[in-house]
Amino acid sequence: MAVGNEVRSACRYQARIMITIGHHDCRLSDDRETGERMNEARDELLKRLENEARLLRRNLWRALRAGGGGHAGGSSSAADMLTALYFHRMRLKPSEPDWPDRDRFVLSKGHANAALGAVLAQAGFIDDALLDRFYHFESPFGMHPDIKVPGVEMCTGALGHGLAIATGMAYGARIQNKSFHTFVMLGDAELHEGSNWEAAMAAAHYRLDNLTAIVDHNKIGQSGRIEELISLDPLADKWRSFGWEVREIDGHDMGQIVDTFDALPLKKTRPTAIVAHTVKGKGVSFAEDTYLWHSNSVDDEVHARALKELGGA
Amino acid sequence: MNMGASTTAPWREASANQTRLAFGQALLAIGERESRAVVLSADTQDLLGIRPWIANWPDRFIEVGIAEQNAIGIASGLATTGLHPYVCAYAPFIAARSMEQIRNDVAYANQRVVIGAAASGISLGVAGGTHHALEDLALMRSMPNMTVIVPADVNEAYHATLATLDIDGPVYLRLGGRTPEAPVTEDSAGFTLGRASRLRPGNDVTVIACGAMVELALKASDALKAEGIDARVLNMHTIKPLDREAILQAAAETSGIVTAEEHRFAGGLGGAVAELLAVERPTPMRMVAMPDEFAVVGPTVRLREKYGMSAEAIVAACKSLVG
Repeated sequence: MAVGNEVRSACRYQARIMITIGHHDCRLSDDRETGERMNEARDELLKRLENEARLLRRNLWRALRAGGGGHAGGSSSAADMLTALYFHRMRLKPSEPDWPDRDRFVLSKGHANAALGAVLAQAGFIDDALLDRFYHFESPFGMHPDIKVPGVEMCTGALGHGLAIATGMAYGARIQNKSFHTFVMLGDAELHEGSNWEAAMAAAHYRLDNLTAIVDHNKIGQSGRIEELISLDPLADKWRSFGWEVREIDGHDMGQIVDTFDALPLKKTRPTAIVAHTVKGKGVSFAEDTYLWHSNSVDDEVHARALKELGGA
Repeated sequence: MNMGASTTAPWREASANQTRLAFGQALLAIGERESRAVVLSADTQDLLGIRPWIANWPDRFIEVGIAEQNAIGIASGLATTGLHPYVCAYAPFIAARSMEQIRNDVAYANQRVVIGAAASGISLGVAGGTHHALEDLALMRSMPNMTVIVPADVNEAYHATLATLDIDGPVYLRLGGRTPEAPVTEDSAGFTLGRASRLRPGNDVTVIACGAMVELALKASDALKAEGIDARVLNMHTIKPLDREAILQAAAETSGIVTAEEHRFAGGLGGAVAELLAVERPTPMRMVAMPDEFAVVGPTVRLREKYGMSAEAIVAACKSLVG
């Protein structure tokens, strides 16, 4: 049974609330009632998640078009794992974004905010229309996550911050005897920041098995291939040597993603590092596996080409 | 100065006349009253006197090691879960090295994190310029949402720390080394955030001081009195939010303002006062502060004299304004 025993409330909500974001009032509405997933067959689950991931990619490209461009590469490589987190693994109440017992997700590689915004919209945390206001004047949805947006746990994107913050969240759960799990997604080039390894040491020392770090290992940074910038290899061994339980997966294989998320924590008394091998720009051939699409312009024509490849309108 | 029965308070004895230890003592009172308080150490357990906290509340203590960036990040994460973290650290390291974490994870995210920054200014005199914190006020007060406090003595350090129970946002508490033998503030006066205390009346000239320089400002005021000059002394313990009213009143009622701080000229208390007066009420000013250079090695008192952060320098500055 891939779904696990817990009743997960992601997508089991009815929300119609008025929220205030800065100077803007946004009406959230979502009347989807998807019901219990506990008996969903595995192939149906995977199919549902893959469809959601395709929609996520369409939505992130839509946001990029609204903004005139942005970080297509790292947003696309993260899309499948974000989908599995928000539509399968995490316990969330989109109608109550500050629910104290919610699982936490920190997008340390905050430049992938187009993907985070898309998944938050699809999950019902924010108004879908906000995706069309990416980068717009006074929009709460800018290039990097802002804590003022419902569902966003921390303002990130200055790299090397998220793992420490997530460690604090996981420690906070322990102090308050709460059962929520904290996830943090790191870019691979982000791991050049030494502060990550301070946090990696501390999380292992404190045996925070309620913490999972996901490394979106797309092998490409802003200036080129990471191997040619500063090599991270052997990456999995680095995490192991810091005291983490490590699993390497294909970050685009929904079955592997779901199985790994369902198995957390991989080992009692250890934090988990998932080194997810991914393709930068995944899903749109001209953006795949090139530093040129770390960040790039997106106009109507580029957007149309991307959507054509993604399909599934 | 009548300190009354409080001179025998256990916290005072344990503070040994050090503001950094008074912070640790105040934490014990906070621990009794606030179950959400959590203390973090960056290998600073003795520096801020938190071993009693560790003994009392081991589950609410986190040692992060010599990793200031991590300390701030973890504190921010803790705060998002509803806890009230207190980070115990060295001022020269926490303010500079983890500046970005403080700006993004604490100030921008507006999280309730209190930073107890010991060994500020040139209190680690013989440790050398790498270990002096002479730009921390400029860094900390330049960020929105921050509260910046510089206690003048152990009384004020103790009460200012207690006051953080009611501050729902980030706080930088600047703690020095040894402070005056006799406290310059009244224990009974407590601490009112953002409200300067007038320690000496006077309408000829005003000295606005913070931290260890408050004691020297009082000495200067006494010396000026003997020469027939009434120098008002304001203890500006809160650098942010600044007590605009007290400064504007002093500018209106006296012939000029002298600021005194153990910090560089750039961006500290003097800068804050000058920013206000330049716009609201241009007023003759003098600044007693560390010049634009790195200090040599030496005992703190000798360094203060060498770089013009002395009672004599305050006296001379005041005379130049009333002369």
